[in-house]
Amino acid sequence: MFYQTPLRTAVLLLFTLACIYAAFTAEYFGVEILTEIIILAMIVLALDLVAGFGGMVSLCHGALAGVGAYIFAIFTAKLGLHPLLAMGIAALITGAVSWVIGTICSKTHGIYFIMATLAFGQMAYSFVFESSYLGGDNGMAGIPRLDLSMIGIDLFDSKQFALLCLACLLVAYLFAWRILTSGLGRSLVGIMHNEKRSRALGQNVVQIKAQVFALSGLILGLAGSLSAQHIMFISPNLLSWTHSGEALVIVILGGLGTLIGPIIGAAAFVLLKHEVSNYTDHWHLIVGIILIIVVMAGARGIYGEIEHRIAKRCAKRVQKEQAPKQAKEKTKEHSLSHAGLKKEH
Amino acid sequence: MDISFWILQLLNALQLSMLLFLLSVGLTVIFGLMHFVNLAHGALYALGAYIAASVAASMGYWAGVLVAPFAVAVLGLILYQFLIKRMRSSGPMAQVLVTFGLIFALLDITRLIWGDLALALDVPELLAGRVSIGGIEYPVYRFFVMAVGLVALVVLHLMLTKTQLGAMIRAGVDNDKMAACLGINVERLFFLVFCVGCALAGLAGAVAAPLLSVVPEMGVDILIPTLIVIVIGGLGSLKGAIVGSLIYGFVQTFGAVFAPQLASVMIYVLLALVLVMRPSGLFPAKGG
Amino acid sequence: MKKVAIAAALTLGAFNVANVSAETVKVGMLLPYSGVYAALGNEIEAGFNLGLQEFGPDLDIEIVKEDSEADPGKSLAKARKLVLQDKVDVMTGIVSSAVAGALRDFVHGAKVPLMVTNAGNDSITGSSCSPYISRFSFSNSQVNGPMGQWVYDQGITKVYTMAPDYTAGHEMIEAFTKTFEAAGGQVVGSEYTPFRKTKDFGPYLAKAKSSGAEAIYTFYAGGEAISFVKQYDSFGLKSSLPLMGSGFLTSPLYVNAEGPAAIGVKTVLHYVPTIDSDMNNSFVQKFQQLNEGRSPSEYSVAGYDAAHALALAIKGGADDRESIAAAISKVSFTGPRGEVHIDPASNNIVQPLYVYETVAEGDGLTQKVLAQLPTTKAPADGCSL
Repeated sequence: MFYQTPLRTAVLLLFTLACIYAAFTAEYFGVEILTEIIILAMIVLALDLVAGFGGMVSLCHGALAGVGAYIFAIFTAKLGLHPLLAMGIAALITGAVSWVIGTICSKTHGIYFIMATLAFGQMAYSFVFESSYLGGDNGMAGIPRLDLSMIGIDLFDSKQFALLCLACLLVAYLFAWRILTSGLGRSLVGIMHNEKRSRALGQNVVQIKAQVFALSGLILGLAGSLSAQHIMFISPNLLSWTHSGEALVIVILGGLGTLIGPIIGAAAFVLLKHEVSNYTDHWHLIVGIILIIVVMAGARGIYGEIEHRIAKRCAKRVQKEQAPKQAKEKTKEHSLSHAGLKKEH
Repeated sequence: MDISFWILQLLNALQLSMLLFLLSVGLTVIFGLMHFVNLAHGALYALGAYIAASVAASMGYWAGVLVAPFAVAVLGLILYQFLIKRMRSSGPMAQVLVTFGLIFALLDITRLIWGDLALALDVPELLAGRVSIGGIEYPVYRFFVMAVGLVALVVLHLMLTKTQLGAMIRAGVDNDKMAACLGINVERLFFLVFCVGCALAGLAGAVAAPLLSVVPEMGVDILIPTLIVIVIGGLGSLKGAIVGSLIYGFVQTFGAVFAPQLASVMIYVLLALVLVMRPSGLFPAKGG
Repeated sequence: MKKVAIAAALTLGAFNVANVSAETVKVGMLLPYSGVYAALGNEIEAGFNLGLQEFGPDLDIEIVKEDSEADPGKSLAKARKLVLQDKVDVMTGIVSSAVAGALRDFVHGAKVPLMVTNAGNDSITGSSCSPYISRFSFSNSQVNGPMGQWVYDQGITKVYTMAPDYTAGHEMIEAFTKTFEAAGGQVVGSEYTPFRKTKDFGPYLAKAKSSGAEAIYTFYAGGEAISFVKQYDSFGLKSSLPLMGSGFLTSPLYVNAEGPAAIGVKTVLHYVPTIDSDMNNSFVQKFQQLNEGRSPSEYSVAGYDAAHALALAIKGGADDRESIAAAISKVSFTGPRGEVHIDPASNNIVQPLYVYETVAEGDGLTQKVLAQLPTTKAPADGCSL
């Protein structure tokens, strides 16, 4: 089950403040990187929602965000719709596409689920790559940004655009939180722990999974339309499977099933990549080795590890005080979610 | 389009299937026993090709094709001792992630050692040229690829069904804990199978090199087709690997003949269809 | 190395005024240093650096390097960084056509001169040309267009075409098809193979063989070119179905990996290292000295000539974005590939083309120039500068 623990709230607040600070102090490219981090954070948040709480390790989340970006681009650059409306449409259509993919794929498990989602991601990639209407491999230019000048916000200013993205990320976080604490979210976690039991209880397992996948798709549609506006250009590369793979890596790097962890992971991954690529063209090597070290150090991820240590310390203290109930439950919860992680393939 | 055209295409499909079989069989055997997908398999294949090409440059093709599997197996041995073994208890996702990190690292290591330019590896004298069967001229080397794949299939099949080692591996695939209880050193079995899987990847690289190009991105490019093959066929089983390879090879080849504009999408549609009908692929191993 | 440039950029920010008076020209170099096109990125940079050494050793030029990763989105972000943060005076590089397309509106709007050193998409100096974008490499139709007549003149009337299914593949083949059909030839079959996903060209080659064509005309590059040429040869098609195409197929950068399979392939390119001229001989010699004996390629020559043009522009007094852009559109010089100049109507390079055959020489392979096609100007194609 998902708990918005004080630690998680604190980290989220800290992250938000750090973003705001960076937006106001960083140089031009620093703000661009910040925006990249925030949009990526939305994608990995959406992925954690399905992977960390539903065991649906999707390898098409990057591609789905790309679908959102393309839908936004079609409705604005091609059809001339208002960007705000287009953002809504992009989110809805991406959500609907995700629902279809979720429904079809949720019969499969583990690596088969990964591959089934990969297949859909690759289909979308090939379609976009070969569609002359969508510009094929050349991509599409001339994508507008949302115009909020009537309320005094200039989104062509990279700082203000970054802050808008940050606001969207926070909304997405609250949305994911709301889903996970709702009946639907609880059922989902139940399914992840024991699918047969849920089915025996009369739940429509496929529908529950598909619905959460669709809700995750809503976030992806939003993230995609933001990334299209950020670069103001899109190309099929957005849908490439390596992006989906990277998203998966980030989720696990940050801490699967913690919601806030992947956000931290996104920041860590992007900053690491940029720092390393300043020194060498062979940044793949360094990032790969760091990834291996992080995973070897404990599969909980960066935030997961922090949370685990704090929880362990708290549990000890509370045990001493002879009032073990609440804290124990929390640690139990944590180890449970890892059991789920291990069981699944 | 006479009959010889179709026989030619049939041979092309078989050749591609056998190449993919060589690649996927190592991956599927590792999965069958250890329950994790070694994403670095493609990178090991690329290393095999690079090693074969460098050795062949000074000592000839046959030396290259012999050294490559051993060299990659040694690398597999090192990887197993330092990474995979320690990750045995951390669950499949963590292992997948480690191998994902390995893709990144190995890609750049290849670039650092051999540079960005393509390496040359020509077909050896013995296998150059074509044979003529019933008016159809077909390259000898392509027959060689088919033969290597077939030999690998037969040897692995015999080893798994007729030898004691094979029986132990099958027991491990079915239930590794039970196998351990019966006195089988499962840990050593894992180690052995992992090295054999890596050697097969290296062999595939060496065999594919004269046919394709030896470039840094070859490992990443081959990963997805290999995964598709083993997932369609069902993970962990020899039968699955060969059936998956044949399906992939025939769909790609005849897709290119009949509907080239759909060739790139067709295999993914097929993958999705198979998984909808059979959520665990066509012939999954029992233990998987 | 990149760190140095960035450190320099930071110092520049701090001492802005001092630097402006020194009139340093900042060059933003946007090339792929990782990913599939890394080899081309390094090749172009080697050419560019040699060109600067040669033509402007005493010029005050500072280079800021960025890795484009050959990704249009990432490249656009990096280009914005070079322009808005590093405040470069001129940009160079760009290997992938998609990246060139992605950058077009931005550099045009920001009025920053961009000297393209590879990307061959027709539109960048055609329908969406810009006074700020010049090209020192080639355009897809420029290279392939003249081949239609040449192939027909060799007595070949039926051709089967093959190329990867993406923009460059289509543009190259369409340009050839147009002139070949105009000359009286017939394209009996045409195939676009999935880009970077095709491992086995066997099925396509078998189709070409049974199509009744007299030759194959093709465009492939990099790893695909190597696989294609090797597989073409393994089917023994050389005698019955000669292979022709745009010269990237047997580029000096890749031909050694193709080996004897490439012998006899006849292709066209704007540069081969065996062009016999003093200018080229000295270029080849210097390039080989710096690159372990490796001959330059059509990629490095584009970097070399771009550096040459930039040096000429700066020597002519250009020192900011506007004046560099204006000077570059008028540039004209003799380089390794012969006489070249920038077409003021489109900002594309005007250059001779070389039809060459890959032949054996000693242990290796070399390019034997069969014909020098007249200096060609790409059609304006809707461009009005």
